[in-house]
Amino acid sequence: MRHEWPATYLDGQTAVRHPATVRLMGQGLEVVTAQGWTRLWPYAEIRQTQGFYAGEEVRLERGGVLPEIVVVSAPEFLASLHAVAPALGGALRDPAGRPSRIRLVVLAAVGVVALGGALYLWGIPAVAAVLASRVPVGWEERLGRTTVEHLAPAELRCVDPRRQQAIDAIVARLAAAEPGPYEFRVIVVNRREVNALSAPGGYIVVFRGLLERTRSPEELAGVLSHEMQHVLKRHATRALIQHVSTGLLLAAVTGDAMGPLAYGAQSAQVLGQLQYSRRAEAEADALGMKMLLAAKVDPAGAIRFFEALTEGEKQPRSVLRYLSTHPGTSDRIERLREEAARAPGPPAPLLPGVDWDDIKRLCEASFPR
Amino acid sequence: MEGAKRPASVFRKPPPPPTATFIAPPAPPPPAPGAPPAAGGPPPVPPGGPILHRPTFHGAGSTLFGIYVVNALLILATIGGYYFWAKTRVRRYLFSETAFAGDRFAYHGTGRELALGFLRAFLVFLCPLIGLGVVRDWPGIDANVKKVAAYLVSFLLLVFIPVAMVGARRYRLSRTSWRGIRFSFRGRVRDLVVIFFKSSILAGLTFGLYYPFYLTQRQGFMISNSYFGSERFGWDGRGRDLFRSFLLAVVLTLPTLGLCWVWFLAHKRRFFWQHTSFAGARFRSTVTGGALLGLYAVNVLLLVATLGIAWPWVRVRNIRFGLRYLALEGPLDLERIRQQAQLASATGEGLAGFLDTGFDLG
Repeated sequence: MRHEWPATYLDGQTAVRHPATVRLMGQGLEVVTAQGWTRLWPYAEIRQTQGFYAGEEVRLERGGVLPEIVVVSAPEFLASLHAVAPALGGALRDPAGRPSRIRLVVLAAVGVVALGGALYLWGIPAVAAVLASRVPVGWEERLGRTTVEHLAPAELRCVDPRRQQAIDAIVARLAAAEPGPYEFRVIVVNRREVNALSAPGGYIVVFRGLLERTRSPEELAGVLSHEMQHVLKRHATRALIQHVSTGLLLAAVTGDAMGPLAYGAQSAQVLGQLQYSRRAEAEADALGMKMLLAAKVDPAGAIRFFEALTEGEKQPRSVLRYLSTHPGTSDRIERLREEAARAPGPPAPLLPGVDWDDIKRLCEASFPR
Repeated sequence: MEGAKRPASVFRKPPPPPTATFIAPPAPPPPAPGAPPAAGGPPPVPPGGPILHRPTFHGAGSTLFGIYVVNALLILATIGGYYFWAKTRVRRYLFSETAFAGDRFAYHGTGRELALGFLRAFLVFLCPLIGLGVVRDWPGIDANVKKVAAYLVSFLLLVFIPVAMVGARRYRLSRTSWRGIRFSFRGRVRDLVVIFFKSSILAGLTFGLYYPFYLTQRQGFMISNSYFGSERFGWDGRGRDLFRSFLLAVVLTLPTLGLCWVWFLAHKRRFFWQHTSFAGARFRSTVTGGALLGLYAVNVLLLVATLGIAWPWVRVRNIRFGLRYLALEGPLDLERIRQQAQLASATGEGLAGFLDTGFDLG
């Protein structure tokens, strides 16, 4: 076994390299520089700071924060050092341990996938649900108010107190079936799309396009009950918490909060978002239907409305279905029918004596055609 | 922090190292001043031309990937706590695989320092920011109080960025060494804050055309306050030399759909390195816009194709790229450099000391 090795000595005070020779002695490492100065480093005082990876030169230090340094380029030196001073097993890394480290990395990779996957699929939704239910209603209302100011700016809102009363009456009847801490407020906006949105805290935005496509108050009630369930189950708040948590999970797995985000890792987050939304939509559908039945509203109206919507739109292909936020409409209708079949008794008419065609013209007062 | 009066010149004498942290090592055999240079000294200038020193990188993406994977597992298992140690581990690997003139760099930071630094930043900035934000948005408070709170929030944010920049640079440089000698950064936060405020005002007045001047001033501040041991880095860049290519890029933005900015970035890099000097030698960068564009394009392709798993390899590619086009040209006089470590003092004097001891976020 070789005892003498060529090395470089750095004195820790200047930036000059001194060529030197190291000798593995019984009690320590003897360092002799080309100029003849000798130092003896007891093994107990030596730290190895570089040389853990294949091809890296071995760097040994001795001293405090600003130590003296010896660098040996030959990687076999470490094996010899280990042979001479095995007592320092931990301090001087054993190069023979490399294959077991590779096995460790593979195990770690499996662990990351398992743990990360479990957190993403189960842990984060569970935590978000718990946290969401603890958020005070006042905070949600403030969040909802700000959201609605963006979605339904004042200049686009349809204002018609008389007709609005009819819509508020529908909401009141549905809310009575499932009392909650929220004060529901329906705002109709002058937009052509057939859509309705809910914001945290009880705000529901109905688009003019949707309102004018309904043919009876029961049809609107179907949409309203769905949106009210989003509010009652705090889906938006939950989604927000999940979004933040998924971002944190990504940062944890990549070990770097800034780097991957710069390259748009957020797209992965967005896909995850849509997945949560679809679950939430299915829940809102089922519970919305239950709410209709509890309020003794005829469910046929809601089902009829969704059927009418399907006729207008193409059937999404499987890829698009994955990407879209709502589950495929035909699945929805099937599930709604199943729920409706469980009606406990005959329905009571929703707005007796009210001309729905008149109510539908709510936006004409503010935005005449 | 240093109480002495400052002369007007930009090139101040560096402050003496604080005695509390200047650790005298056991007396090593020092090279006698005036003695003929040891064999490790700078070689004589060869007749062909000045010496070109090139940094090299010896790391591999696969090794970095292994580090990332173990880090990820530990971060998940500790619910995020291991994050700071993970960052340190990656940095330590990348630094010790980078070499210059035959010797590797070394990183001496610890996860604990990063964690404490984050806690400091959190307490000093994030908590007041959140508190002021709540005051600003709470419905029941007097409107004037809210206005004051809103202004304070903006002010805090504007001050936080230079504090974070100086803190991060001071921390990272003081934890980096080459041949055992530590780097250091001795710039003061208030100088950078002045640059920031001045630049915001001037940029507003000139519709953004002041930007290259701001970039140059900021880089000048960073470079001219950086030291290797006792030797200061030199800077002689002027904003007007960068202005022309900036103007060109602005004019060509629409016709080239923004691609001209890659060439501006390459020119900026060359310009910054060209005006940075050290110990009698000058840096030189030969990076081109085309090469930079190629780097970005392949990186994006790699990341998309592997759903982000190629990130460690991308990181290694970026480092190799950066070093490939960099060189230090000239007779490097390392003989006169002495260790002058500006390690963070354990106590810290007041808020300035508290922040200036350096903290690093991300």
